[in-house]
Amino acid sequence: MASQEVLSKFTDILRDLLLDDSVELTMETRREDVPGWDSFNYINFTVAVEMQFGVKFKIADIESFPNVGAIVTKVTEMMATSRPVEKTLR
Amino acid sequence: MLFNSAEFLFGFTPVAVLGFYLLGRFSRVSAIRWLIAVSLVFYGWWRPLNVLIIGPSILINYGLARVLLRLNESEQARQWSQAILLLGILFNVAFLGVFKYTDFITGTVNDVFGANFVLLHIILPLGISFITFQKIAFLVDVQAGRIKSFTFQDYCTFVLFFPQLIAGPIVHYREMMPQFHTTSCRFNQENVAVGLTLLLFGLFKKVVLADKMAPLVTPIYEHATSGANISFLTAWMAAVGFTLQIYFDFSGYTDMALGLARLFGIKLPPNFNSPLRAASIIDFWLRWHMTLTRFLTAYVYNPLALTLTRRRLAKGLPGLGGRNTTMGAFVSLLVVPTILTMCISGLWHGAGYGFVVWGLLNGIYITINHAWRLAAARLWKDRRSYDRLMRPAGQLVTFIMVCATMIFFRAPTITSAIDLLKGIAGLNGLGLPQDLLGRLGPVAGILHGINGVAGSGQDLMITGKWICLLLVIALALPNTLQILDRYEPALGIRPSANKLSIGKIRVLEWSPSLPWAIAVSAIAAIAFVYIGGPSEFLYWQF
Repeated sequence: MASQEVLSKFTDILRDLLLDDSVELTMETRREDVPGWDSFNYINFTVAVEMQFGVKFKIADIESFPNVGAIVTKVTEMMATSRPVEKTLR
Repeated sequence: MLFNSAEFLFGFTPVAVLGFYLLGRFSRVSAIRWLIAVSLVFYGWWRPLNVLIIGPSILINYGLARVLLRLNESEQARQWSQAILLLGILFNVAFLGVFKYTDFITGTVNDVFGANFVLLHIILPLGISFITFQKIAFLVDVQAGRIKSFTFQDYCTFVLFFPQLIAGPIVHYREMMPQFHTTSCRFNQENVAVGLTLLLFGLFKKVVLADKMAPLVTPIYEHATSGANISFLTAWMAAVGFTLQIYFDFSGYTDMALGLARLFGIKLPPNFNSPLRAASIIDFWLRWHMTLTRFLTAYVYNPLALTLTRRRLAKGLPGLGGRNTTMGAFVSLLVVPTILTMCISGLWHGAGYGFVVWGLLNGIYITINHAWRLAAARLWKDRRSYDRLMRPAGQLVTFIMVCATMIFFRAPTITSAIDLLKGIAGLNGLGLPQDLLGRLGPVAGILHGINGVAGSGQDLMITGKWICLLLVIALALPNTLQILDRYEPALGIRPSANKLSIGKIRVLEWSPSLPWAIAVSAIAAIAFVYIGGPSEFLYWQF
């Protein structure tokens, strides 16, 4: 999946979470640039991404993403690896 | 040795800093070792036994971290590394628990079961709550692979660095160690000028602003504890007054810590950003004791929320999805982790029912804040008009609610806190002073019936004046980080574009210039008159 496609899906997820259709994500967007995207919504966002793309982040990754681009890269990377990701997340 | 004592300011600090610069001329290693040595002296000054308590804990943590680093090298050892991490966290929590909570638990058992166990009255090693959190963060970071290498000297520098040893800011290894590895260890004009300014601003906040407020509100809490009913006006003054006192006390301490670190060329993370101007309780926690919020979010809330959210979604139940949020999702994914995190925060502050209630209240506020956000986004489509209208209201409500929680933080007993809350609600009478009533004319007759016991006019006037003064400073003036923002007073602080300016001159923007040197000296001169008082920093007891 191309990064632009991933990015636009991210935008949809976040718009729905924040109930704000004016949200526009770019690769450089940082969390503090989006009003209301606090730590609470961030967790919801990452798990929604996990569900949608069938990937699983490490907690250490989640805290160290500097911007949206880093999450996009990570997701694309994880999807590219051939190892099938477990569906049941525990 | 308190930051606000003469022996610290005029004895210890100059020796520590000059020794650092002097040794820095020969080698970084010797300068850093000097820093570790003076930090130990600082820590042991009040009670040398403290060093013997913290020493073994440092060695054990260092050993565990080494093991974790080794285990990280192979994929198969992952299970083991998680077990070691768990062991490390348990060790640190138990270590804190023995010192901090033994008496509390014994007391609670005595209360509940009518038992008669003897309280041991264990003396809390200085700053143990802060040190414990920092050590846990270090172990977690090593296990997660965020720290790839470290030496014993690095670890000691990280744990013991005296400017932030006792009451934070709670720092991360990865933001500190690169600085210790690159600081010049030499005299640097900018660092000294910025460092001294921060140090003196902080000292002023503590010894003048906070310490003048303290004797005005303390008697009210003592009065409430002795069983007296506190009337409306007095109760409000106790709540607002203490909130201002703890703000200037703790942010003053933090400014001093930032300034001291800067003298060694080290920048600490910001801890306060005018929290009393917050427009919501969530906003408040992003501006008050910011490094604690950061710690709790990363190491308590996030893992908890992540596990709960994943589990729920795996079961096929709906998550917290904006428009479609269900009550069940809200309770299990937001309310539970938030309240749990804030209760841990309360208990961390102190072993007492008041702190637990304080944490619980904050947790409840935050969940209400979230529920409101979800509801408001549905009811109010236009965000800009919403912000314009609701922001001032939010600020007022947040301020009042924060003051109300602070009563539980300060009042020695739950009963006295509840009595003060009754006072705030007006259930104990208005308590207007007699001479003020006399001047109100016909209204006085109506008020007289609900006034209750009249307060003493003079005390209330003085307290009222101080509250107004401190409110103006906290709400209207730029904070220290804003004043110094061109010189990165704290990690990551960048110059702000919108500044108050008259003509071309930016007002209240610090620069290394003569007018500022005079102004800072004047502030220092006032502060020096008041140093050496018997007042401890409120957060040093934790």
